[in-house]
Amino acid sequence: MTGTATTGGWRSRLAHLPRETRDTLFLLATIAATVLPHAGHLPIWCTALTGLMLLWRGQLAWRGAALPGRWSLSLMLVLVAGLTWLSHRTLLGREAGITMLVMLMAMKTLELRARRDAFVVFFLGFFLVLTQYLYSQSLLTGLWTLVSVWALMSALVLAQMPVGQPSLKHAARLAARSTLTGLPVMVLLFALFPRIGPLWGVPADAVGRTGLSNELQFGAMSEIANDDGIAMRLRFEGPPPPARALYFRGPVLSRFDGRSWRALPSAGPLAARGPAPRLRGQVLRYELTLEPLRLSVLPLLEMSPEAPGARLEVQGLELWRGSELQWLAPRPITERLRLSQQAGLDYEAGPLAPADRRSRLALQPYLELPAGLNPRTLAWAAELRRRPEFAGLDEAALAPALVAAVLRHIASADFAYTLAPGRYGQDTPHLIDEFWLDRRLGFCEHFAAGFVVVMRALDIPARIVTGFQGADRVLQDGYVVVRNAQAHAWAEVWQPGRGWLRVDPTAAVAPERVDQGRTLVPAPGLLSGALGQVSPALWQSLRRGWEVLNNRWQQTVLNYSRSDQFDLLKRLGWSAPDWQALGQLVALLLAGLAALGAAYAAWQARAQDGWARLRAAILRELHGLDLPAAAAHQAPRQWAALLRLRHGAAAEPLVRQLLALELARYAKQDPTPPPGWLARWRWLREFRAAGRMLRVQTKKSS
Amino acid sequence: MSLRQRWQAWWDARHPRRDSHLMGQHNIYILPSRPGLFFCLTLVVLLLASINDQLSLGYALTFLLAGAGFASMHATHANLRGLNLDLKAPAPVFAGDELQLEIRLHNSGGARFGVGLRVPGGAPGDEPAWTDVPARGHSLLQLRCPAPRRGLTGLPALRIETRFPLGLFGAWSIWRPAAQVWVYPRPEPAAPPLPVQATGADADTPAAALLLLGEDFEGVRPYRHGDSLKQVLWKKAAQGGELLVREHLSPASRQRWLDLADTAGLDWEARLARLAAWVLQAEQQGQPWGLRLGARELPPDLGAQQRERALQLLAAAEPSA
Repeated sequence: MTGTATTGGWRSRLAHLPRETRDTLFLLATIAATVLPHAGHLPIWCTALTGLMLLWRGQLAWRGAALPGRWSLSLMLVLVAGLTWLSHRTLLGREAGITMLVMLMAMKTLELRARRDAFVVFFLGFFLVLTQYLYSQSLLTGLWTLVSVWALMSALVLAQMPVGQPSLKHAARLAARSTLTGLPVMVLLFALFPRIGPLWGVPADAVGRTGLSNELQFGAMSEIANDDGIAMRLRFEGPPPPARALYFRGPVLSRFDGRSWRALPSAGPLAARGPAPRLRGQVLRYELTLEPLRLSVLPLLEMSPEAPGARLEVQGLELWRGSELQWLAPRPITERLRLSQQAGLDYEAGPLAPADRRSRLALQPYLELPAGLNPRTLAWAAELRRRPEFAGLDEAALAPALVAAVLRHIASADFAYTLAPGRYGQDTPHLIDEFWLDRRLGFCEHFAAGFVVVMRALDIPARIVTGFQGADRVLQDGYVVVRNAQAHAWAEVWQPGRGWLRVDPTAAVAPERVDQGRTLVPAPGLLSGALGQVSPALWQSLRRGWEVLNNRWQQTVLNYSRSDQFDLLKRLGWSAPDWQALGQLVALLLAGLAALGAAYAAWQARAQDGWARLRAAILRELHGLDLPAAAAHQAPRQWAALLRLRHGAAAEPLVRQLLALELARYAKQDPTPPPGWLARWRWLREFRAAGRMLRVQTKKSS
Repeated sequence: MSLRQRWQAWWDARHPRRDSHLMGQHNIYILPSRPGLFFCLTLVVLLLASINDQLSLGYALTFLLAGAGFASMHATHANLRGLNLDLKAPAPVFAGDELQLEIRLHNSGGARFGVGLRVPGGAPGDEPAWTDVPARGHSLLQLRCPAPRRGLTGLPALRIETRFPLGLFGAWSIWRPAAQVWVYPRPEPAAPPLPVQATGADADTPAAALLLLGEDFEGVRPYRHGDSLKQVLWKKAAQGGELLVREHLSPASRQRWLDLADTAGLDWEARLARLAAWVLQAEQQGQPWGLRLGARELPPDLGAQQRERALQLLAAAEPSA
């Protein structure tokens, strides 16, 4: 009983809150909605503190209590800065910046007194909305941020309605009206504002994402989160090749220091040398849309035919091909790229035979191993090499035999493919020993790294290639979709007479990973799990429909680029669209919009009533007839009297017309409807003609 | 003509005094407010972030906000456009008191929100008086402004302003009302009692003669506008006769003259203040009284009109008079 009574009281209290309290609570809810999507990637203390502060502020507003003083706020600021430093080891980076932004916003609510302070919250809120796009630009994120922007705008409108107690619904409607009126400007700017590349270097760190990176820390990740985000989309001319054959060449990692693998330093396009890959068989043409991976390597399908040192320009970005046949960019690629390329799935790469010393020297880096590390693996390799079956082989036959033997070993020994192998190197510096001989758990990068170390121990040049392998089995709207989860690492070994050959040791332990192009599926989420249990087909088709929708969103909104802008201009009739044309069009359209706004204002300011319009026109005419005393509040009868007084009998036609108007307007009992534009025009034409006559007569007489 | 005067002249010609104020394109000014400038700065930073991180949705957000800001400029302007203001004739006040202005806002268009009115040049933190005006309706606003100096003065210019809907732009309009208002001299707070009248010039009048005899004469005369109702002889009126009033004669005087000469020795404004106080006292005592300001004379009478006339005379009085 008491429970219901309290709830009822609470509810009625909520419905009859004082204006100030209600607005504050609304603003707090808005801030909470803006911060919410960040909860996943903020440090836990930050999320918790923000929630606490908002709750505290809400409670203060509810009770109408005083806000905390300046001293406690300063103290809190110092505390927050310290915590941020502890979490991020800096106050300036992107992550640290977002953490601070969220905390500042929460703290600002604690000193929200005047309307001026509210503005600060709004502007911080807009920043916070933008930072969400650094993590996700999906359709859902877009919708959610639209809601938070709408709420922020409504709060802004509320702050500008100082009288009475306007309802939230009303404010929201007004905010929506203002935003919708601005929609043409938004669409215009979005379509035509020149899309240019980043203005300055972007920190290369991909924020806590899986996928590719320029460095491989062996065993540092105990588990990789499966990021189902899309990395790229391809459309092939003709039928797409099987997923098993799709290898996208990303960073090539050759230097190993015992823990991490790094790329060889590249000295730019001029220093890149080597023979071009020789393609055999069919050449595939495809169109690729690459999501921003924030990586200075462009992963293209193996193997494109250009020689090392070749250049490729994509949307103003100058790429070149390195010695190890990867495509390098001068900076991390942060924009979506769209390009057309060709590739041959069957190819031969690199020098076939190290005829001269220089070529032999060039292979040297691929044989180096960190000194003194992994002795047991080296011993294992030496023992393998000593086996009798390899004794009599010549150089050309030895390498393939060794590779095959090691792959057989991987397949037959108790190696296991898992996405959660645990950390390596916790209590030993010999990481490869630990993997190759002791634990034998890992995913692609463990197998590739172990394989390459064993190859080098066997005096076979080897390197790790990272990139993507495989694709979704189902086409999306005709596109082959490659996901971040399909990031992969494999090995390349050099064999005399055959050049660099791709060897995928993961295929030896988990062939399904390579064949089906799908990673091991981690435990499904609660909802998808339940739905997948009940109706797998429904779940699949729901998921596919959603992804098609997302693809459209990606292609039309997110991938909208400079080339789309130029295409638009072409369709509008520019034969050779360039920046200048784009600028002209934007200026022209903005001027047009402004003129439209001004015209609307003028139209609205004009008298809306027919009588009033006629009255204004007559007044203009009378002032032209030297009757400055004629005023808007007088009746036609009075104007007639003034005319008579000034011009005498000569004005008689005008006087008659005015008196007739007076009669039409006032004499009848029932109110006369205002004259339409045609009637007004006729009346005025006659009146003006009479006025001209009068002017001519007065000129003659004077 | 100095630059300042020229500016003033141009300003006055730009805002002629009018009885009513219809706001339109020609008399509404609009500028970005301070938050509006910060909003622009925010937009620039958002745009830079979108460019640098190649965030398509960031562009969309930036341009959405820019579009809304642009639209809000029109909405702010439209919030004033078409409003018509007029003013109820203000009541006279004493100098130092506050003028009470009652302003009506007529709206022939859609609803207006957050329309503020104030007298420019007030304290910087002064909030205007806010009101909403319903669609095709009107609303009333009371405004007070100080009236420091006596005289027939023009009303101060009024500033009508709004920042609705987003507060990013401030639109305002200046109205100089044509109406004038009397500001009377402030009565001296503790003025000495009315001076005892020297009979002098009025010695021959019958009343004065009677007064000399020391008798309390009581006569009757027809009712005149402004007579106190207490003086009406209701019994006679009930008998069907005309309205007659009793004329009291106090021993002091029958017709009192308030004379500037009686206040000699004070400075000019103080003299007027004392006379104003006396006018109020004389009016309270309910005897006909007259005012003499050097050459100007107000014949003896009683009532609200007499009081107004006397106070207006005092308000307009110049030392040369």
